[in-house]
Amino acid sequence: MNSSLLSLSNVTKRFASHQAVDSASLEVVAGDAIVILGPSGCGKTTLLRLIAGLEVPDSGEIWLAGAQAAGAGRSMMPAHERGIGFVFQDLALWPHLTVQRNLNFVLESVKMPRADRAARALEALKLVRIEQLSSRYPHQLSGGEQQRVALARALVGQPRVLLLDEPFSSLDPELRDALRSELARLQRTLQVTTVYVTHDQGDAAILADRVIEMRAGRIVAVNDTKRKEQGA
Amino acid sequence: MWRWQSSRTAVVGAAIVVFVVCCVLPVGYLLTVSLSSVEAFSALLLDARQRQLLYNTALLGTGTALLATAIGAPLGIALARIALPRKAILRLALAAPVLLPPYIVGLAWTYLGSSRGWLATLAGHDLLSAWTYSLPAAIVVLSVVFYPLSMLATEVAMRRIDGRLEEAALVVAPPGRVLSHITLPLAAPGVFAAALVIFVLAVSEFGVPGLLRVRVYTTEVFTAFAALYDFTRAILLAVPLLLLCLIVAVLAAALLGDRLVITRRSAGTRPALFDEWQRPATLGAFVVLTVALVLPLAILVSEAMAAQSISAVLAGSGRAIVNSLVLATAGATAVVGVAVWLGYARARTAGRMGQGADILFVVLFAVPSTIVGVGLILLWNRPGPFGAVYGTDVMLLLGYLARFVPVAALALAASARYVPVSHEEAAAVSGAGWLRIMWGIVLPQIRLGLAAAWVVAFVLACGELGVSILVAPPGEATLPIRVYTIIANTPSSHVAALALLQTAVIFVPLAALGAAMSFREAR
Repeated sequence: MNSSLLSLSNVTKRFASHQAVDSASLEVVAGDAIVILGPSGCGKTTLLRLIAGLEVPDSGEIWLAGAQAAGAGRSMMPAHERGIGFVFQDLALWPHLTVQRNLNFVLESVKMPRADRAARALEALKLVRIEQLSSRYPHQLSGGEQQRVALARALVGQPRVLLLDEPFSSLDPELRDALRSELARLQRTLQVTTVYVTHDQGDAAILADRVIEMRAGRIVAVNDTKRKEQGA
Repeated sequence: MWRWQSSRTAVVGAAIVVFVVCCVLPVGYLLTVSLSSVEAFSALLLDARQRQLLYNTALLGTGTALLATAIGAPLGIALARIALPRKAILRLALAAPVLLPPYIVGLAWTYLGSSRGWLATLAGHDLLSAWTYSLPAAIVVLSVVFYPLSMLATEVAMRRIDGRLEEAALVVAPPGRVLSHITLPLAAPGVFAAALVIFVLAVSEFGVPGLLRVRVYTTEVFTAFAALYDFTRAILLAVPLLLLCLIVAVLAAALLGDRLVITRRSAGTRPALFDEWQRPATLGAFVVLTVALVLPLAILVSEAMAAQSISAVLAGSGRAIVNSLVLATAGATAVVGVAVWLGYARARTAGRMGQGADILFVVLFAVPSTIVGVGLILLWNRPGPFGAVYGTDVMLLLGYLARFVPVAALALAASARYVPVSHEEAAAVSGAGWLRIMWGIVLPQIRLGLAAAWVVAFVLACGELGVSILVAPPGEATLPIRVYTIIANTPSSHVAALALLQTAVIFVPLAALGAAMSFREAR
């Protein structure tokens, strides 16, 4: 359809009487770091779930890497075929699996050869600096360590697009700043296309090439940030 | 805060005394008596006949647990994760067989499979009679009765799983892989615990093995006591069964942990993982419903139609019907009257003491009915004031208390957990005493739980056979005893009609409860 890696065209989603997303259109090119900013309940999480394939739009189209992923009322590409890495707000680490096996589940699912899995998992854990925690279970980790595991799990499958749903919202300010900087470093290192949802202006300043503001389900403004202008 | 002089201590203490006397003492006393004759016990165990008994009992329990889980777990998954049509009604209908007395389903089975039964008539020749009265048949019948336990436990376990965990997997893996690697492992403890409970209930069952002529411990205990009048042998036979049930029940309770009384659903979304399987799942649910509920009832109706008149059926059974209704009503009221305080106390007790109480409740509920019966006789059949009670209908009430207080206490503990402690504290600081707080604040908030506990206790009491048949006074009978004892020498149409009457007695209050719950949900 066009050269965008991710494209949303007039996407709408309604839950009962609540208009969650209203005619949202968006173009994301490879390597972009987008921050979607808005108050609670403005539809930003729903937009992320539509991109991931966890919801189906009522109308409009979603395109991924030149292929239509979803149209009005139907999904052409199931979630697991979209090449998405997703960091959930509550992290959703699988409690019955160790850190290593949380990552292995992803690698097995993307059909990575068995021989390469350990090295890839270690690489991802090193990226977020928790390689020593691979044999721990999620409940044995601190909040910050869990965030890093969630990030490693989202990155280990080398996704086309990394989606983050307010992943640092429950952390204390100090840890939040540290992890935000860490994520910015990863973006620069990996050049991964990122869509990050938040209600915090501070996140946008550090993480975004472009800030998209949402209100009541609608995209009301799109702004390039200093980071992009400076080519950071 | 607990204080010795408070009304709370007096009321809960009284409930604990009743619980100990009715539920703990019979089993404890039986164990004590049997352990005092260790030599006879070990001699009994070496007997090849007893080893066969143990084998049959273990096979009945294992086979039923496996088959019931194989039927129930997929239904639980479907109820939790697939948008089935009219799900609330479907769930209620699928759960109904567990409330039927098992011997009623067994009775329908004998009418279906005997040499002149339904299947033989339809096929024009004998198909099933060779194994109508067999161990595999008992496994099938008990699985049909107990699969709802696995279904409901699986559904609850699935609903407790945070949907985000599955969504996080769905982003990288197809639904089948998400189910096998994420959902099922997380739900496994609940499913496994339900299988253990089914094992215990199956090896504790008396009516179905008795009806289908399968030799297991429960039937041998009954035969030793009621036919051979060999009380020592009955006690000794009860011990291996009791130990087996206690071990498995402790394991199940430990697996479930705090989940026995905390039934809150998890936060997060419920991904519709398998909506594309809606049609086959619906079809499967209706097949199970037909086999487990519609077919047995249809067979009984068909048999009953041959009865010449309703008065002929009721002749001789009127007293048993009235007895059943009166005793089940009184029994359910007494059970709830004791269990509500125990449940409240459990809900307000945290830590190991609370978990210990859960294990005790589960273990006591798992004690086979014939063993409870023998324990009650041991305890109450003696000179003095105890003897005055023995030989009266009070023994039946004691039997209901012994069997159903533990499960009612667990259910009411789960209800009481939903009432925040702060509600009581707010009433206390405004000057209300504990009884007033319970009457005005706590009990009104758990009234639906109380109603449900009463109805379940009533239904269970109506169908109770194992204890009743042992402790009922001479000449007195409840409907289950009447049906069970006339099977051999009464026209099948009369037996089927009485079984149907008993089914109606069970389903009418259930339907009323279902309607009350629907009304509340609609509001």
